[in-house]
Amino acid sequence: MIALAAASPNTTQGAANRMSPVFLFLLAIGLGLAGWLAGRAKARAFSRDKDAPRIVSRPGYHAWYVAIWVAVPLALFAVFWSILSPILVDQWVPATPAGQSLPTFGFQRQSMLAEARAVAYGQAAGVFNPDAAALVEPFREASRFYTLVGFGFALALAVILGLWAFTRVRPAFTARVKVERAVMGVLLLASLVAILTTFGILASLVFETIRFFGMVSPVDFLFGLSWNPDPMSNPAAPQGDRYGAIPLFWGTIFIGAIIAMIVAIPLGMMSAIYLTQYASSRWRKIIKPALEILAGVPTVVYGYFAALTVAPAIRDAAQAVGIQNASSESALAAGLVMGVMIIPFVSSMADDSIAAVPGSMRDGSLAMGATKSETIKKVLIPAALPGIVGGVMLAVSRAIGETMIVVMAASTAANLTANPLEAMTTVTVQIVALLTGEGSFDHPATLSAFALGFVLFMVTLLLNFIALRVVKRFREAYE
Amino acid sequence: MTVIHDMDDKAEPKMRASDVSVFYGDKKAIDDVSIDIPTKFVTAFIGPSGCGKSTFLRTLNRMNDTIPSARVEGQIELDGEDIYSSGMDVVQLRARVGMVFQKPNPFPKSIYENIAYGPKIHGLAESKGELDEIVERSLQRAGLWNEVKDRLGESGTALSGGQQQRLCIARAIAVDPEVILMDEPASALDPIATAKIEELIDDLAGRYAIVIVTHSMQQAARVSQRTAFFHLGKMVEYGPTDQIFTNPLEERTKDYITGRYG
Repeated sequence: MIALAAASPNTTQGAANRMSPVFLFLLAIGLGLAGWLAGRAKARAFSRDKDAPRIVSRPGYHAWYVAIWVAVPLALFAVFWSILSPILVDQWVPATPAGQSLPTFGFQRQSMLAEARAVAYGQAAGVFNPDAAALVEPFREASRFYTLVGFGFALALAVILGLWAFTRVRPAFTARVKVERAVMGVLLLASLVAILTTFGILASLVFETIRFFGMVSPVDFLFGLSWNPDPMSNPAAPQGDRYGAIPLFWGTIFIGAIIAMIVAIPLGMMSAIYLTQYASSRWRKIIKPALEILAGVPTVVYGYFAALTVAPAIRDAAQAVGIQNASSESALAAGLVMGVMIIPFVSSMADDSIAAVPGSMRDGSLAMGATKSETIKKVLIPAALPGIVGGVMLAVSRAIGETMIVVMAASTAANLTANPLEAMTTVTVQIVALLTGEGSFDHPATLSAFALGFVLFMVTLLLNFIALRVVKRFREAYE
Repeated sequence: MTVIHDMDDKAEPKMRASDVSVFYGDKKAIDDVSIDIPTKFVTAFIGPSGCGKSTFLRTLNRMNDTIPSARVEGQIELDGEDIYSSGMDVVQLRARVGMVFQKPNPFPKSIYENIAYGPKIHGLAESKGELDEIVERSLQRAGLWNEVKDRLGESGTALSGGQQQRLCIARAIAVDPEVILMDEPASALDPIATAKIEELIDDLAGRYAIVIVTHSMQQAARVSQRTAFFHLGKMVEYGPTDQIFTNPLEERTKDYITGRYG
């Protein structure tokens, strides 16, 4: 608050500009309510008229019809305007007399504009560069102007559409059908948001990855054996030998797909077998939710456990049997704990798959004189295998994308070794390290994080895709 | 309960149930049933749905053990040995008393492996050659050999419904049982496949004691030499099939046979 007050008496206007989408939303709600009341009043009037023709929709639907036509376009406009107006403001400012005096190119121009913008919007107390101060007022002016333009547009839009909708409210008008369609539209929009966001994430990842591959060859990246990025190095120098990601891929696979799965597959399978075949239904009702709760424990908690309990224990144990170079950040510790984290996942998928095998298979085997464990080993598990494999693949894709456990328990040293007692790093650990470091966003060291993220994304996507297909085909086989 | 003792086999029965009652929890599903099952004949259990005939069938190889709430009282003997005694090995019992289910349930394995499953578990074959022999003999007895001999490696689930059921019968035969229990073995099949199964039952009758549960009275009349009529958990009448169908002693049996209810 002190900073704001010190900045300028006009700060509130800057705040007003950032508030404008909110005002537009409030306007949408207010006008929508007015439209609702007007629509209902009109519909009620003719519904009371005994001579009116048969009325198709109840007054409430007419009310909603008008309200939707007022509020929805207005709300969409508010979203659109909140994106567009800052761009318009940024174009306005350099065109003003104060803007003409800016340096034409480069870093200085950008930083002056950014400073002035921050002050004008009330995000910063003052400018470092005195030349930027002259730009503050044009920013405010532009922002005031476009806020007004936005309100004008919004109001006109709402009034025109509202009046048009209002005139359509007649006894024979099928408002109910129209409202139903609008509801479907809203639901569709909601489902698109998630999908479009995914595409947006992928697009930004691809964009940065391409920039990275402009500096480092994909061949060096994918097949190089040495990982040693230095955010402080000269970005213009050849970088190929620093970004060999094989040690990271190996570390990820070793920890997530090998050590973790050596723990998770047998334990998960055995727990699933116990739960489906041996446990009484009462016991099952206790254990199954307990396992599922385990799946909901934040991974950072597993991370503590790995870093503070398991890792030192493994190091001490290794030293006790005479292995002196055991690391306190061993791949084994991270992998073991990750395996424990994945158990509920494997167990629940295996449980579903075994339970999906028809009971007649089991009866058939038992009636042949097979024992319970023979039946499980020779009939149930082979029959459930595709489902189990699919589940394990999903688990692997989760394990290799897992961040917190490895960030806390694994090392950042990119060793290419098969010794589980040594320090190793994973793709996710490196992404975190590179993005939280000091490097600039133009430097290949930082950009390499996006390339790693892209590879991880593609691998997990592929794994999930294959796994889901396998599981689906397995389900079909028994339906 | 009427039991006609005018039977042509004076030998010891293969299986003998005495005063058997079965409970599911507190519900009594079978009430005090006593029956002798002869060897080398087909015995049919008939009766309306829910009369307990399948439940009773499943007590004969202790398949009811897989239902946690089921409890059996009374005595069932196989060759004079109580199958519910603590000394009885259930695994061994089921090898001697095989079962074929209502819905064909071949394992999702090859045809060969389906048949070899039992012999492998019970160690009946010393060598691959012996196992091959058992598989061939079982399939031949089940009348399936000629249809599948060139594709033993294919999945058993790829066969037609009738073939699957004969595969299941062959699978049961493969462990050389003494009794074969069949729980409505043809009810999921079309008439042609049904006829083949009935023919097969006829062929097998001379070799094993066969007990078949069926909804179809015509089927019981066609394939069996003994028929037991069950109603509401009780065995109402048991005797030679001809007599049960032509001249039943009990009014309820007559009503059922003539289609007055059921």
